[in-house]
Amino acid sequence: MSTLFLFQLRRVGRNRQFLFFTVALPALFTVFFAKVFGQAADDGYGEYAAATMVSMMAYGAMGAALGATIRISFDRASGWLRQLRVTPVPTSSVVGVEVLVGVLLTLPALVVVALVGRLVNGVHLPPGTWLALVAVLWAGSAVFVALGLLLGLALEQKAAGGAMGIVATVLALLGGLWVPAELFPAGLQAVAHALPSYWYAELGRDVAGGDAPSAVAVAVLVAYAGIAGALAAAVARRRPLYAVAG
Amino acid sequence: MTEPALDITGLTVRYGAPRTAHGSSATPAVDGLDLRIPRGETVALLGPNGAGKSTTVNAVLGLVPHTGDVRVLGRPPAEAVRAGDVGAMLQHCGLPSEARVGEVLDLVRRSFPRSWPLDDLVVTTGIDGLLRRPVEDLSGGQRQRVLLALALAGRPPLLLLDEPTSAMDVEGRRAFWTTMRGLAEGGTTVVFATHHLEEADAVADRVVVVAGGRVVADGSAAQVKAGITGSTITFTAGPDAPLDGLPGVTALTRRGGTVELTTSDAEETLRALLAGGRRLPGLQVRGASLEEAVLTLTTATPIGALR
Repeated sequence: MSTLFLFQLRRVGRNRQFLFFTVALPALFTVFFAKVFGQAADDGYGEYAAATMVSMMAYGAMGAALGATIRISFDRASGWLRQLRVTPVPTSSVVGVEVLVGVLLTLPALVVVALVGRLVNGVHLPPGTWLALVAVLWAGSAVFVALGLLLGLALEQKAAGGAMGIVATVLALLGGLWVPAELFPAGLQAVAHALPSYWYAELGRDVAGGDAPSAVAVAVLVAYAGIAGALAAAVARRRPLYAVAG
Repeated sequence: MTEPALDITGLTVRYGAPRTAHGSSATPAVDGLDLRIPRGETVALLGPNGAGKSTTVNAVLGLVPHTGDVRVLGRPPAEAVRAGDVGAMLQHCGLPSEARVGEVLDLVRRSFPRSWPLDDLVVTTGIDGLLRRPVEDLSGGQRQRVLLALALAGRPPLLLLDEPTSAMDVEGRRAFWTTMRGLAEGGTTVVFATHHLEEADAVADRVVVVAGGRVVADGSAAQVKAGITGSTITFTAGPDAPLDGLPGVTALTRRGGTVELTTSDAEETLRALLAGGRRLPGLQVRGASLEEAVLTLTTATPIGALR
């Protein structure tokens, strides 16, 4: 399993686009938003810079988790999952490694955006809060790992690529990661409050503000993760990993 | 350790196809197939497309739901695969993107309880010089050789190959079958599906002809070939032309004005046709294709008659 884990990590690591979109882009947005809108923010620059950083950590981690796990549909399309099935590698290891890789790959986005927030945008938090912030967003990213696996198992390669982009954009936009949900009209706010991306960022906002994560946020994320995971398992039963694509 | 390499009893596979109009009540892809292959044999599963060869191979690996009993070296399919007893080259299998050949080979070798020494494996399968190559840069033939190396990585006692040479050129095929003969001499049981009579003839100790999801003939290549040397005679004739009772004829079809006869004895059939000065415009006589031969076997030869 560790061999497969390292093998999979090395493959994703070669994908420069993946690294760009999940690490560099959120980091650039973090600087851009803070520099352009920060000075004019009602709450003052400090508050705005911290909020932007948390949103971009959430955005980067969500993209990384979705982008890493949806790759399973590419491995089905190439016939690689079928090939693996005729070696002694157990299917449970294949799925387990997908989850581990997805979880691990959210970390660079979280850490890099946090560093940019601290070093470039001058966000100040107590040391323990920094650690708690990264830790809580890392744990919470499991919900997007489950969602990405579900999409990757259910969709064909071409659809999966497109779906990933759309799902990530919709979750980011309507979940208030790009524009704070408080600025939304009431109807859209209700939509935001139904999305896991909103509550995921809320976890980060709670912790960055020095509080414990709110019970609602945790409950919503656990529920989403549970449903996506159960659906992914159901899809995998109906259509095994080794099933031919198309 | 006296279990056969492969012991299949009453294998039946129905593809439930809820997304097509056929439904799951369609004719089974494999229909009560029995096959026992002792260790060390090289066996060709020969038959036309759609005969059930691939489905049989997939069932042996536990890749399709089936009824009937399949034992691979005494074990159920999935267990045999997990134990590293089987290597396979299948259709629809492929290599991962964003990886180098050497990395893929290393991963698969490590997954087997025992693995073939790398240097020897690389030379045997002709992939020396490819190990550092990204998978995306391989040619079709190189890709097939890498897939063969993956199948052999654990030096499995049983090798299953489904149309392994379909993407190879003539040179590649020759090299491939030379490798297979070497493995067979070393005691590996090799089972391969093909629709090329020549391949079966050149490589296999035993040829199992599959049609309609069943075994219709089973014997040495020479025996099977003898059983399927038929000929096809075509000519133009009116719809009323009397063609009953011709000697040697095993099948007769009329398409418009064209008559097609399949015969086990072309000379006798022709002699009878031409008797009485009958004219046969557009006459052609040719050796039966495999499809026709299999048709002959399924309609005219009792199952297992050659064995």
